Amino acid sequence: MPEITYLEAIRTALWDEMKRDERVFIIGEDIGRYGGAFGVTHGMLDEFGEKRIIETPISEPSIIGAAIGAALLGMRPIVEIMFMDFTLLTFDQLGNQAAKMHYMFGGKATVPMVVRMPSGSGTGAAAQHSQSLETLLMHMPGLIVVTPSTPYDAKGLLLTAIRDPNPVCFIEHKVLYKSKGEVPEGEYTIPFGVADVKRKGTDLTIVSNGIMIHKSIAVANRLAQEGIEVEVVDPRTMVPLDTKTIIDSVKKTGKLLVVHEACETAGWAGEIMAVVSSSRAFDYLDAPMRRLTGKNVPIPYNRVLERAAVPQEEDIEREIRAILNGEY
Amino acid sequence: MPTPVIMPKVDMDQEKATIISWEKKEGDAVKQDETLLIVETEKVAIDVASPASGILAAIQFQPGDVVPVATVIAHILKPGEILPGIPLETSPKPVDVQDFGRTPENKQGSPAVQASPLALRVARELGINIHDVPSENRKVSKEDVEAYAASLKSSVGTTENVTGKIAATPAARRISEETGIPLDSIRGSGPLGRIQADDVKRTKKPVPSSTSDRQAEIIPLSGIRAKIAQRMQASFQDAPHIAETVEADISRLEDTRAHLNEMATLKGKGKVSLTAILVKLVAWALENNPYINSSLIDEKIYLWREINIGVATAIENGLIVPVVHDANKLSFIETAERINDLGRRAREGKLELGEVQRGTFTISNLGMYGINQFRAIINPPENAILAVGAAVRKPIVIDNRDTIAVRPIISFTLSADHRVIDGVVAAKFLADLVKVVEHPEILLE
Repeated sequence: MPEITYLEAIRTALWDEMKRDERVFIIGEDIGRYGGAFGVTHGMLDEFGEKRIIETPISEPSIIGAAIGAALLGMRPIVEIMFMDFTLLTFDQLGNQAAKMHYMFGGKATVPMVVRMPSGSGTGAAAQHSQSLETLLMHMPGLIVVTPSTPYDAKGLLLTAIRDPNPVCFIEHKVLYKSKGEVPEGEYTIPFGVADVKRKGTDLTIVSNGIMIHKSIAVANRLAQEGIEVEVVDPRTMVPLDTKTIIDSVKKTGKLLVVHEACETAGWAGEIMAVVSSSRAFDYLDAPMRRLTGKNVPIPYNRVLERAAVPQEEDIEREIRAILNGEY
Repeated sequence: MPTPVIMPKVDMDQEKATIISWEKKEGDAVKQDETLLIVETEKVAIDVASPASGILAAIQFQPGDVVPVATVIAHILKPGEILPGIPLETSPKPVDVQDFGRTPENKQGSPAVQASPLALRVARELGINIHDVPSENRKVSKEDVEAYAASLKSSVGTTENVTGKIAATPAARRISEETGIPLDSIRGSGPLGRIQADDVKRTKKPVPSSTSDRQAEIIPLSGIRAKIAQRMQASFQDAPHIAETVEADISRLEDTRAHLNEMATLKGKGKVSLTAILVKLVAWALENNPYINSSLIDEKIYLWREINIGVATAIENGLIVPVVHDANKLSFIETAERINDLGRRAREGKLELGEVQRGTFTISNLGMYGINQFRAIINPPENAILAVGAAVRKPIVIDNRDTIAVRPIISFTLSADHRVIDGVVAAKFLADLVKVVEHPEILLE
């Protein structure tokens, strides 16, 4: 199976789907000749032309508003928001319009729109270009929230997202764009609401997403040399959430650590813990559930502080050891 | 009120000061703003002025002592005032002082606890009294506090905290529930003694000491014993038992028995036992009290038309209840013959199934063993059982002129299933029984 990057996997999905379905088009800032802020749509203008690779002025609410309109009329718009942070400008369009229309029009309207958005810190882009805001989107019923962590998941989930009749927030981690992984050449889809156990283990369950999956796996592989087997569960889609896989894993290990880059207060780690503690897995817990999250601060520009603001491998290792050693 | 003299705070970051010298002695008259003592902070030496005019009393610290700011170091008394002899700990203190631990007794002359501000903060966060931290006569450091906290944690042996509840993880609780290993027998290895799942798994299920280290002949609960155990337990659990006791004078019954025995002898029959006579009398009382002769089956009460009285009979390895069917239709002598026959074959293990079935009431008689009175457990699906005690000669009042006579008295205790049989219903049955026992001629008509 060929190894390609996360970025290439996303471009492949976009490319193939635009070839397959002429209703699909991409709309966003600098996505044409420039190829998008991260180069995801590089080369697509030449292939598909200006009618299907639509460059816009800098007005995120207008971009999403236009996409919603097109989706209502049967098109399959894919929006690129340059940085996830800018979705904060679009919450009326996303939250009040896209998320609600299917419900408020008695099921007669659907908004089959995908909004792609790079998230996360690690590039020195400072507080307005580094956030992980998936929790905000998770809190608005009607939106699907996808957080792929690997090239394989990115392609399979993006194809599902484009074909899904609901508005989908497709959150890409900007540091993962250059990460590589095996991706089949042909078409395949990954259903929403199916978590992936990225690493099997028996001693502790980590539930994580995005780039934190990779940090967790790296730590887990190191700890395996000491006989500590950590299970890493990647929900892949935060909405809908595969609670069963999480509950089953915690029933097996008895210990839960939720790791996310998003900041702590009201972050989705609390959601996972609530799911676990109100399930049969409660009776299998053998330590307090813990969360390791981004700090409750705007992401700093300074590289050292930026690193300190979100969980790093050493933090994950420390938390795992503390839970296993009964220090909580 | 006595005016307290407190260690002043003169610098923003000052937490303590050392006493250099006292300028006044205990008992000295002092004026307000007059210098009482000289103390030294890390930066300066300062004069501490008296907060009031009066007599200097109760000096708590000596030169060289390091004292936290805001600590009471002495009092100024007005003429005639006395300082109550209360220990310093109970006198009001600023909150901060608590962090420094107990203020040492003046007479011992030991210095106040010294600790770095960081150590104090860490101690406060860990809920540790800084005074408890061993410092080896030097300033208590953060490391000292943390080491002490760690030693506390590892030395905690019991899992019970002040709430009296057991700290255990949900998994440990589940495993305890599943295995029957009680949590209170387990020493927790988790933080602050919390019981972890592994602690429960490592604990052997406690076995009652009577079977682990004591010698005994072990008899498996099987066969008739298992059946008895199961039926008695079911009865006792399912049927809410009530019990009522009456006593009856059996003088006439003894006469009747003697008479019947004469008749039996003349006819060449076996002796008529008291039990046989009682079966007949009980049958008569049951005819008049159908609820006592009933069963509760599937939420229906069956008032049996037939009166089949079981007689609890001891056999070698237990108990069996042969039934005298249609006891109300038999004569005394027939009843006696039937009971003698059933009893003999019961002891020989030769009863047929039909002879132990379809009972509607049971009599258990332990009178021959000298038991005066006892309560029996109902023999399901019957709703009542009569426990018969020994006939005992007792002085009793026999008329309304308080005449006392010695009479043979027997006690009957009826156990009844209160779901079906009310107390009054049971009482009426017993009243009828007493009537027929004391006037057996009712049945001889």
